[in-house]
Amino acid sequence: MSVLKVSNLKKSYKAGFIPRTQEVLKGIDFSIEPGKITGFLGANGAGKTTTMKCILGLCEPDSGDIRYFNNQLLDRKVKSKIGFLPERPYFYEYLTGEEFLIFYGQLSTNLKKSDLKIRIKDLLTKVDLLHAKDKALRGYSKGMLQKIGFAQALIHDPDFVILDEPMSGLDPDGRYYLSELIKEVAHQEGKAVFFSSHLLPDAERLCQNLVIIKNGKVVFEGETLKLLEQVHRGFEIVFAKQEKLEKLKVEDENELQKKIDYLRSENNRIFEIKKLNMSLEEAFVNIALEKKS
Amino acid sequence: MKSVYIIAINTFREIIRDRILYGIIVFALLLISVSLALGQLTFAEQARISANFGFTGIHISAVVLAIFVGSTLVAKEIDKKTILTLLVRPLSRLQFIVGKALGLIFVISVVVGCLALVLAMVFMGLNVSVNHLFFIGLYGVLLEAMILLAYSLLFSSFTRPIMVVSCTAGVFFIGHWLNDLKFFAERSKSLVFQQFEAVIKYLIPNFEMFNWRSLVIYNESVSVGELFWASIYAISWFCILILITALIIRRKDFA
Repeated sequence: MSVLKVSNLKKSYKAGFIPRTQEVLKGIDFSIEPGKITGFLGANGAGKTTTMKCILGLCEPDSGDIRYFNNQLLDRKVKSKIGFLPERPYFYEYLTGEEFLIFYGQLSTNLKKSDLKIRIKDLLTKVDLLHAKDKALRGYSKGMLQKIGFAQALIHDPDFVILDEPMSGLDPDGRYYLSELIKEVAHQEGKAVFFSSHLLPDAERLCQNLVIIKNGKVVFEGETLKLLEQVHRGFEIVFAKQEKLEKLKVEDENELQKKIDYLRSENNRIFEIKKLNMSLEEAFVNIALEKKS
Repeated sequence: MKSVYIIAINTFREIIRDRILYGIIVFALLLISVSLALGQLTFAEQARISANFGFTGIHISAVVLAIFVGSTLVAKEIDKKTILTLLVRPLSRLQFIVGKALGLIFVISVVVGCLALVLAMVFMGLNVSVNHLFFIGLYGVLLEAMILLAYSLLFSSFTRPIMVVSCTAGVFFIGHWLNDLKFFAERSKSLVFQQFEAVIKYLIPNFEMFNWRSLVIYNESVSVGELFWASIYAISWFCILILITALIIRRKDFA
């Protein structure tokens, strides 16, 4: 079962005084599984936002196929199961936080106003904005806007949430808070989350799956761990020798077992054994270089 | 219908909380006040001058609202990307356009209503009766503003607000001169001019059909049939223009 299946998606734009066709998406294929956080990575101009807009029906693809929730096409029913937070969102600044959520709630649910208000109160509590519900959005900070934007994406309790650069422009506190919210939405509420980001450490920490695109094509699709394990750098043993913590690196599993036996025979206490993989940042650069060469 | 209503209410709230609206209202109130002052200067024509200036103030306010606010109604949503969070909802692009248009029509109606109240008080002060002709005059202003707003939305679906204002203002002036254009075309020897007139009358409505502002001054009447057909004419223009706008917007990529 997949929440989204994109097949051979192509999109080009005409740009310039004498219009020239610029191919942005050159046949994108990937799928999203329910209940998982999938990161959508790629350099600037790789085609992330265009892909997302094609998925959401905001751009008409030249060709290709997009299916939602097991083979359905995008229609009103499907739209009511999707939540979206755009990049650098600007919202109606004359509305208060509560009015803003009522507006989006009325547009996408059939809840009675009293039930909607309860839902809004829950959401505002979740994103820690209950104190600012009567404040106009023009008085919100960047972090608060991102949080209220996240709340509007969830107002209709969607099964699939698409977030375009949700962490961009946020301070570390804000990024941490939003990361925790994304995890809660996916792991506790079982929603599929698909988000694009430039911030690779955040993506590495959050995403079980990754889709990486480069120049309008998917260059990696799969589990984050599998990507990171492609380059295995041995193991690290953290142990205490006479009350002093020390680290030891070993190349392979055989050596690891030997070292463990040795350390224990010497009465050292082993605290941690870490598998050393490359970071997502390194993996991303490797993919970029691979494709260049 | 629920989605259209929600968009219309939000548009109404957006414009009502915008400062530009109050600038337009102050301008109209000034014009009505000037009408009162000018009326004092004349001996016999005080009511006529006050009515003229009063209705002109209301007419200009409605037209300015339709053209200027209409020109940024959708453009602002596209520029600030709020349209992205709307169109991903179970809402069609036609519903979005109709909702935006109805929201502004609602604002124009409220503004015209408030200004009419002030003008009615001026009339009562001058012992001029506020009868059904007064309301027919206002109804004509609303029909005209409704069509101009639809033109604003149409132009804003493919060009920038400054061009939208220029083009819609052009429609406004030509629409008021269509009778004169016909008169001169019939007497002109230029085939190009005659053909221009023949084409333009199908592209731009005749706004003089809704000019019932002088009825109250001269105490003339208008038939129910004329009112009915003028309403059908205005609503048809509005619907056709909104449908064309929706068709253009339907094919638009919001990149």
